[in-house]
Amino acid sequence: MNFELSDEQKLIGESVERFVQDNYELETRRKLAEQDPGFSRDYWAQMAELGWLALPFAEEHGGFGGNQIDTMVVMEQFGKGLVLEPYLASIVMGGGAVKRAGGDLAAEVLPKVIDGSRQLALAYAEPQSRFDLHDVTTTAKQDGDGYVLNGHKSMVLHGATADQIVVSARTGGGQIDTDGISLFLIDADADGVKRDGFPTVDGLRACEIELKDVRVGADRLLGEAGKGFEILSAVANDAILALAAEAVGAMERLYKDTVEYTQERVQFDHPLSDFQVLQHRMVDMFMEYEQSKSLLYRATLEAAQGDAETAQRTIHALKHLIGRNGIFIGENAVQLHGGMGMTEELAIGHYFKRILVIDSQFGNADYHLEKFAA
Amino acid sequence: MDIELSSEDLAFRDEVRQFFKDNAYKPGDDYNQWRLDWFKKAREKGGWDVPKWPKDFGGPGWTPTQHYIWEQETARATLPWDMPFGVGMVAPIIMGYGNEEQQQRFLPDIRARTVNWCQGYSEPGAGSDLASLKTKAVLSEDGSHYVVNGQKIWTTAAHIADWMFCLTRTDDSGKKQEGITFLLIPMKQEGIEVKPIITLGGNHTVNTVYLTDVKVPVENRIGEEGKGWTYAKGLLQHERTGLAGLSRSLVALEGLKENARSVTRGNGTLMDDGSFRAKVAELEVDLLAAEYTELRSLASAQAGAAPGPESSILKLKGTEIQQRIQKLTMEAGGVFSAAWGDKSVGPKFARGGMAGYLASRAYTIYGGASEVQKDVIAKNVLGIKRSSK
Ligand SMILES: Cc1cc2nc3c(=O)[nH]c(=O)nc-3n(C[C@H](O)[C@H](O)[C@H](O)COP(=O)(O)OP(=O)(O)OC[C@H]3O[C@@H](n4cnc5c(N)ncnc54)[C@H](O)[C@@H]3O)c2cc1C
Ligand SMILES: Cc1cc2nc3c(=O)[nH]c(=O)nc-3n(C[C@H](O)[C@H](O)[C@H](O)COP(=O)(O)OP(=O)(O)OC[C@H]3O[C@@H](n4cnc5c(N)ncnc54)[C@H](O)[C@@H]3O)c2cc1C
Repeated sequence: MNFELSDEQKLIGESVERFVQDNYELETRRKLAEQDPGFSRDYWAQMAELGWLALPFAEEHGGFGGNQIDTMVVMEQFGKGLVLEPYLASIVMGGGAVKRAGGDLAAEVLPKVIDGSRQLALAYAEPQSRFDLHDVTTTAKQDGDGYVLNGHKSMVLHGATADQIVVSARTGGGQIDTDGISLFLIDADADGVKRDGFPTVDGLRACEIELKDVRVGADRLLGEAGKGFEILSAVANDAILALAAEAVGAMERLYKDTVEYTQERVQFDHPLSDFQVLQHRMVDMFMEYEQSKSLLYRATLEAAQGDAETAQRTIHALKHLIGRNGIFIGENAVQLHGGMGMTEELAIGHYFKRILVIDSQFGNADYHLEKFAA
Repeated sequence: MDIELSSEDLAFRDEVRQFFKDNAYKPGDDYNQWRLDWFKKAREKGGWDVPKWPKDFGGPGWTPTQHYIWEQETARATLPWDMPFGVGMVAPIIMGYGNEEQQQRFLPDIRARTVNWCQGYSEPGAGSDLASLKTKAVLSEDGSHYVVNGQKIWTTAAHIADWMFCLTRTDDSGKKQEGITFLLIPMKQEGIEVKPIITLGGNHTVNTVYLTDVKVPVENRIGEEGKGWTYAKGLLQHERTGLAGLSRSLVALEGLKENARSVTRGNGTLMDDGSFRAKVAELEVDLLAAEYTELRSLASAQAGAAPGPESSILKLKGTEIQQRIQKLTMEAGGVFSAAWGDKSVGPKFARGGMAGYLASRAYTIYGGASEVQKDVIAKNVLGIKRSSK
C-alpha cells in the first residue's frame, strides 16, 4: 500500500504550489478576473514552459505521458490559489476529447495545445440538457464531404476566449439517445458561430454559443461519427476528477482559514475558538475535508489503473461527496466568520463560490448520488 | 382548539385583498410617487401604513389574528419597497423612550417614508458581543451636544440614509452593558464617511461608517444617558421575531415547485427527481410545523400572555427555511445559476440563483447569529446555568 506520490509528481506539486504562492494573491486574481480575457496569457505561457500543459498527453504528441494522478496534483494546488487559467477547459476537457479521438486531428492540434499557442473549449451542455451529456439537440447534417451544424450550446467554460471548440452534435438518434452523438472541432471564428461571453459567480468565464449553418470538413470529426458519447463520458470523468481535486484544495483553505480566524477574533472576552460549539463545527469541517480527499484518491487511482467500471461508480460517489461536503464546509466557513465571511474581501468567500460552481458542473451532488445508487 | 377564522376576520381578509388590488402598481406609474401614495392611502384606511404601531400613535390596533392575516396577504401581494429601519425599528424606540418633542419631530417623517434610516450598532470589535462597542460620545462642557468618534460596520443602507440610530459609549467605567447611550445622528454632515462593503452576492447593501468629531445635539439623545442598552435590547427581540418571514417562505416554496416543474429531466421534470422532490417535501414539512409554531405564539399573545418558549425558535427556524429555499432554487437552476450579475441564461428563474443563495447565508448571521441565539435559548428558555466562564 502506498499513497506517496512519485518524486516527479512531488516536484510538480511543489512547483505549482510555488507558482500559486508567487502569482495568485487575492488582489492579483481579482484584477485578472475583472479584465479581459479573464486570466493571464502570460501565466499561460509560463505554465506551458513549465511543462504543465503537457502532463496528460502522450509522448507522440509532445506530451509527458502522465495520467489522472498528475492532473490531480496540479488541480489541487490550483484549487488553493483559485487559478483562473483555462487548464480544465483547454487541457482536461477540450484537449482530453481530442486526445481520446486520436488520429490526424490529435497530431495536428495537440502540439499547439501543449505549447500554449492554442486554447480549446468543450461545448456539451444545451439549454434543455441539464446534466445529461447525451441530451443533445444540436444537429450536424452531412453535406457533401462535410457537415453543417445548427444549434445552441450553453455555459461553455472559457468558450469566448478559446481558439477552437469541441462541439457535441447529433448525426443520428433521438434527443436523449447515447448513440448518434458526434464530436466536431470547430474554429471559434468560423462563419455562423456566435459567441456571447460572460463572467460566472466564481470569477471564471463562460459563454453561450449559437451555431447557424456552420460548415466543417469531414476531417474535423473527432473519432467515429455517432460514437461521440463514449469520448464525452470519458472526458467528463476526467473533468470530474480534476474538479474534485480543485475542490479539495479549496476545502483545505476554507477549513484552515476558519481555524485561524476563530483563534484571532475575540468576542465576549474570548477568542471564538474557545466556544465548543465552534470547535466541534470545525472538527466536522476537517473530517469532511479528509473524507473528500480519501475518496478523491480512491477514484483517481482507480481511474489511473484503468478499471473503468469500478472507477465509474467511485467517480459518481466522489462528485456527490465533493458537492455535499464542499457546500457544508463553505457554509460553515462563512457562518463562523460572521459578517466578515460575507465579504468579497476575504478569500473564503471566493473558495466557497468556486465550490458552488464546481457542484453545478458535470452533474451536481444529487445527480451523481442517483447514478451511484442505480 | 380551533383555528377557524371568525366572520369578522374573513371580512378583514377580503378588505385587505381588495385594498391591495385597488392600489397595485401599474406599468407606467412613477414608482416613487406610487410608493408614497400607497402609504398615504394605507394610512387613510386607519393606520394600515404602520400596522404594528400602537393605537395611540396611529396604528390600527389589530388583533394578533389580524396581524397574521396581514402577513399572509402581504406575502402574496406586490407592495412598495419599505426598509425596516424607520417604521419597524427606530420608531418603537422613539415611542417607548423618546420624549414628546422627539416623537413629534421624528415620527411623522418616518411614517410618511420620506426619510431613510439606518442602524448603527455593530462595530469591528462588537458583533455578537454588541455590548463591547467603543464608539465614543463625549458631552460638551456646556452640555449642548455630544462629540462622537468611532467606527460602525455592516451598516445596511447607510449610503442612502438620512439618519442613523446609533449606540455609543458614554462611560466605560462599569459593566459594559452600562454606559451605552442611544443617539440619533443625521448622516449628511461633516465627519461622517460612508464606505461600501461588497458582499458575496456582488451587492452593495452594507457599509462601514466612520465618525470623526461628529456633533450631535443632546436633543437627539433618546432617554437617559447610559441606558441605551436597555432600549436597544427590547428592539432586538422585536427585530428577531420579525425575521422569520414564514408567510413569504410559503409563497416562495410554491414558486420553487413551479420553477422545478418547468425544468425538464428526461421525460419528466425536476419535481419527478427523487432526491429533489424529497428535499422540497422535507422543507414543506418543516414549514407546516413552523407556521403552527408561529400561530401558537400568536395565540398566547392574543390571550395577553408573555410569549411562550416556542416563540424563541422562530428566528432560527424561519431563517434556516429561507436559506433552504434559496439553496433549492440554486440547485433547480443547475449550471445556469452560476451566471454572474444580471446575465440571464437558461430558465428565467435561474438568473442570479447562486448569488441569491450566497446572500442568504447572512440570514443566520445578522439579527443575532444562530449559535448565539441558541446560547440565549439555552439560558433563558431551558434555564441552563453555566457553572463557569
Ligand atoms: C455499551 C457500553 C460498553 C462499555 N464498556 C466499557 C468497558 O468495557 N470498560 C470501561 O471502562 N468502560 C466502558 N464503558 C463506559 C464508557 O467508556 C463510558 O460510558 C464513556 O467513557 C462515557 O462516560 P459516561 O457514560 O460517564 O458519560 P459522561 O462522561 O457523563 O458523558 C455524557 C455525555 O456528555 C458528553 N460530554 C462529556 N464531557 C464533555 C465535554 N467536556 N464536552 C462536551 N461534551 C461532553 C458526552 O459526550 C456524553 O454525550 C462502556 C459504555 C457503554 C455504553
Ligand atoms: C448582510 C448583513 C447586514 C447587516 N446589517 C446590519 C445593520 O444594518 N446594522 C448593524 O448594526 N449591524 C448589521 N449587521 C451586523 C450583524 O448584526 C453582525 O454581523 C452579527 O451581529 C454578528 O457579528 P459579527 O459579524 O461580528 O460575527 P462574530 O460575532 O464575530 O461571530 C462569528 C461567529 O462566531 C459565533 N459566535 C460568536 N460568539 C459566540 C459564542 N459566545 N458562542 C458560540 N458562537 C459564537 C457566531 O455565531 C458566528 O458564527 C449586518 C450583517 C450582515 C452580514
